[in-house]
Amino acid sequence: MHPVSAPTAVVADDERLMREQIIASLKEAWPELLVVAEASNGHEAVAMVQDLEPDIVFLDISMPGLNGIQAAQALAGRAHVVFVTAHDQYAISAFEHGAVDYLLKPAEAARVALTCQRLRERLKQAPDPMNDLLAQLSQRLGGGVKPREYMRWVQASVGANIRMIPTSDILFFRAEDKYTRVQTQGFEALIRKPIKELIDELDPNEFWQIHRATVVRVDAVEQVSRNFRGKQVVHVKGSTEKLEVSRTFNHLFKQM
Amino acid sequence: MNTDQPGAATDKAADRVTGGPATQPMGIRQALREIRKGIVVMWWSFFDWLAAISWKALLLVSFLSLLLAGILRHPTPVFFLIIVSIIIKVIAGGKRRAERIATEATKRAETEQLGRTVLEARMEALQAQIEPHFLFNTLASIDQLIQTDPPRASRMQQSLIRYLRSAMPQMRESRRPSLGQQLDLCGAFLEIMAVRMEGRLQPVVSVPEGLRSAVFPSMMLQTLVENAIKHGLEPKPEGGRLEIGAEVVDGQLLVHVIDTGVGFMPKAEGGVGLANVRERLKVLYNGRAELIITVPPAGGTCATIKVPYEIAPA
Repeated sequence: MHPVSAPTAVVADDERLMREQIIASLKEAWPELLVVAEASNGHEAVAMVQDLEPDIVFLDISMPGLNGIQAAQALAGRAHVVFVTAHDQYAISAFEHGAVDYLLKPAEAARVALTCQRLRERLKQAPDPMNDLLAQLSQRLGGGVKPREYMRWVQASVGANIRMIPTSDILFFRAEDKYTRVQTQGFEALIRKPIKELIDELDPNEFWQIHRATVVRVDAVEQVSRNFRGKQVVHVKGSTEKLEVSRTFNHLFKQM
Repeated sequence: MNTDQPGAATDKAADRVTGGPATQPMGIRQALREIRKGIVVMWWSFFDWLAAISWKALLLVSFLSLLLAGILRHPTPVFFLIIVSIIIKVIAGGKRRAERIATEATKRAETEQLGRTVLEARMEALQAQIEPHFLFNTLASIDQLIQTDPPRASRMQQSLIRYLRSAMPQMRESRRPSLGQQLDLCGAFLEIMAVRMEGRLQPVVSVPEGLRSAVFPSMMLQTLVENAIKHGLEPKPEGGRLEIGAEVVDGQLLVHVIDTGVGFMPKAEGGVGLANVRERLKVLYNGRAELIITVPPAGGTCATIKVPYEIAPA
């Protein structure tokens, strides 16, 4: 084997001390390896690898912008990847089964030496884009395609501020003229989003529409009675307001 | 209730009566005292029994005693005893029953209180989990600083020790935590994070000295600070400011954690941390405290915990 030129690497981590630590331990274990650049987030890492075309890229998994897994996906086999992580149980178990190498922070000298030895072997081949493994990892770490997400917070202006109300605090929504009233146990707020749009974004297991103008949180329902006109009326815990159920939604409160 | 109580009391009294004079002739006075004590015990046992038994049972017992007295041909004293019993039951029974109900209610309230305490302790333990990510990253930073800047490494390690001392559940003090203690804990955490994140984290603590003695639940401020860094500032490549402030408004203590980070996502899961803070406030203050999250006009996130203002006992 003739060393045409010294092997090169890019080190990406959002914390400078972490980068320094990795670079220092690499210097010990593999003096010929040339660290050509340091990146402090995922986007920078991708740009640097595309620019400098290093042989190896060390990617921290939790970074702002793109995380390490997403950066590796974006690079798609342009360099040999070594992941660096402090503690990601999922990721570690996935790495142990795959062809990827990883380093745990703080990096131990013996472990770094082993990684360097493996990398020397691997440099003879083209980098593996690891599509399947990365897709699986990215899903596990929450970066992939997720099941449908519902609204968990409602943004409502209270005075000069915008307040974030967790949906679990809301008793019901009620249409009022141009606005929708958000009622919690302690206060009420108005939002501009109409009931028609809200109902699409709310979790149907959490909220039920009971009337053209009313959406109630199921857990807040205390009891359902009938009023003098024979209509179903919902009583809500923590509010004295009674909410009428329109005929279209009568089936929601059938007796078991 | 115990209807056999009078029986037991009588036996005890009888023991004393027979045991008393047999011991020593000198002890006659002592024996008399014992007898008097026995009678008092018997009387109160009888009183309790009267208050506790139903009217039906009392009538039945009275009828049987009258029969027995009739057979023995001495009905008058028994008749009197029955009349006295009935009067006592009418006058004292109600009071005695009320006392018993009150005792039971107290016991139930105590059980409930205990349940709340246990629940709160469990939730606090959940909240107090130290993130392994934080711990390992900090240790790795210290490892690096030992090589390059030993005095700084030492300072950082001391901050870590201070943080662990108050963040580990088994290290925590049992008395009511004060805002000052919670600020010290967050201060140690922020010192560590500021070394690690460098210019990307600018912490500012602006709490009036006088509010440090206010009562404030443990680990809640820490959760807000960790959230602000993890979800607000760390995802932002250029980072930002994190400010802790406190004020008293209308007898309520308001503690704010404001960051200039990426801001709140309406669809983001609130996170276990915030839900836990909310639940704990409910259990601890029964509706008199809340967690409010707002978006300041300039962006970022402002989280406020509002609790009744109380001074912690020194």
